[in-house]
Amino acid sequence: MTHRHTQVLVADGLAKRYGRVTAVADMSFTVRSGAVTGFFGPNGAGKTTALKMLVGLARPTAGRAFINGAPVDSMIPDARVIGVYIEPCGAHPGRSGRAHLRTLATLAGLPRARVDEVLTTVGLDEAGRRRVGKYSMGMRQRLGLAVALLGDPQILVLDEPVNGLDPRGIAWLRTLLREQAALGRTVLLSSHVLSEAAQTVDDVVVVDQGRVVHQGALSDLEGRGESLELAYFNLTGGTQS
Amino acid sequence: MIALLRGELVKTLSTRTLLAFLIGGVGFSLLNAVLVAVASGTLRGASQKAEALSTLPILLMVWGLVGAAGEHRHRTAAPAALVARRGRATLLLARLAAYGVTGLGLGTVMTGASLALGLPLLRDQPGPDLDLAQIGTVVAANLAACVLSAIMGAAIGALIRNQIVGVVVLLVLNFAVIPLVAGAQEGLANLTPFGASSILSGMTHDTTLSIAAAGAVLAAWTVIVAGGALTSERRRDLA
Repeated sequence: MTHRHTQVLVADGLAKRYGRVTAVADMSFTVRSGAVTGFFGPNGAGKTTALKMLVGLARPTAGRAFINGAPVDSMIPDARVIGVYIEPCGAHPGRSGRAHLRTLATLAGLPRARVDEVLTTVGLDEAGRRRVGKYSMGMRQRLGLAVALLGDPQILVLDEPVNGLDPRGIAWLRTLLREQAALGRTVLLSSHVLSEAAQTVDDVVVVDQGRVVHQGALSDLEGRGESLELAYFNLTGGTQS
Repeated sequence: MIALLRGELVKTLSTRTLLAFLIGGVGFSLLNAVLVAVASGTLRGASQKAEALSTLPILLMVWGLVGAAGEHRHRTAAPAALVARRGRATLLLARLAAYGVTGLGLGTVMTGASLALGLPLLRDQPGPDLDLAQIGTVVAANLAACVLSAIMGAAIGALIRNQIVGVVVLLVLNFAVIPLVAGAQEGLANLTPFGASSILSGMTHDTTLSIAAAGAVLAAWTVIVAGGALTSERRRDLA
C-alpha cells in the first residue's frame, strides 16, 4: 500500500522565551505523513517546549505552528486528529487509570468502550482500576500513551515515550509506531535512546540550543556511513564517552 | 458543552477529595448547629436562629480552588484541553459549571445536616420557631452561597494555578483581613465576596446588606472572577 506523503506538522520559525531565558531560539521543520520522525537533541535543547508549541499547549514568542495546513492557534483540538503524550503523564494520583481515561473519553465525545480498548492496547487492563499514584514509572508511561491513542488519531506526538518502559514495552511501542506509519499516519517522536530510535524512525530532526541543526531522512545518514548516534554527536558538538 | 460538563463532573467524582470535603462540610455544619443553638445562649429572632442552620461557604470556595488549581498541579489540564473539541475557555466554563453542580450537591447535604440537627435543637430556644418560609429562605440562601462560592473558588484556582498559595490567600483573607476590615468598616466588608457569602449563609446577620443584596454582590463577584479566569485561560500556556 502506498500513501501520498504530505507535510502534516510544520514548525515555522518557532521561538519561545521565558523572561530572559530562551528555550527555543528559532525552529523550523516539517513532519510528513506515513513516516515516523525522530526529534532528537541534548537535554535543554528545547525539544519539549517546541513540541508544546507545535500542539498548541504553549504559545510561541515568535513563529507559527501548523497542523494539516491550519495554524495551531486557530484549531480546535480533537483526539481523533492528534494524540499527544508529553511528559509527565498528567493524571491525578488519586484517580484510577481507567477513571482518568474515562474523563478524557467523555470530554472527547468518545464511547466508553474505547477506554477498555486502549487499556488493553497498552497492557494496563488489569491495572486500570488501581490509582495512578500506585503506578510504576513504566505504567504511567503506558497510561500516557493510552491517552495519546484514545481517539485513534491520525497524528501522534510523543515526547520521550520509551522512558521507563521495559524491553517488551519498547518492542511493543516500536511495532505500534511502525504500524501507524504504515497506515499513512504521522508520528513525531522525541527520544534520547538513539539505538532504539534508529530502529523506529524514517526521518530525523536534530536540535541543539533551541535551533534545528539537521533535518533529513535516516537513510541519508546511513548512506553516508554514519549511524544515528554518530551523526547526533557530530551535530550537537558532543563526544562519545 | 454537555459532554464537557459530564467529563468535568466525572473528574470531581472520581477522587476522594469530594468525600473529604463532604465529611468536613457536614461535620462543620453539625458543630455549628450545636454551638449556635445550644452553647451561645438565648437566641432571639429568626436571623439569630437561622445562624444555627448556616453552612460554611469558604469551604466550598476552597473545594473549587483545590480542584481547579489541582488541574495544573497534577498536569491534567493539558490532556483535557487536547481532547475537548472546544476552546480552552469553553472547557474552563464547563469546569466552573461542574464545580457549581458539585457545590450544589455538597451544599444540599450540608444544609440537610444543619436542618436535621439544628431545627430540633432550636425548639428549646424562646420565641416562635422558624416557619416554613423562613426555613425555605435559609435553605435557598445557603445553597446559593455554596454554588457561587464553589464556582468562584474554581475560577480563583484557574487564575492562581497553585493550590497552596490559593488556599493560604483565601484563608488569610477570610479569617484575618475581612474581620479586620469589618471591625473598621462593616459596610465595606459586606461588599467583599467573603462578607457577602457570610451574610448569604446566615453567619452574619442584622447588618448593612439584606440576604438578597448579599446574593447579588456574591453573584457579581463570581461573574467578575470567572470572567477574568476565562479571559486569562485563552492567553496563557497550559503546560
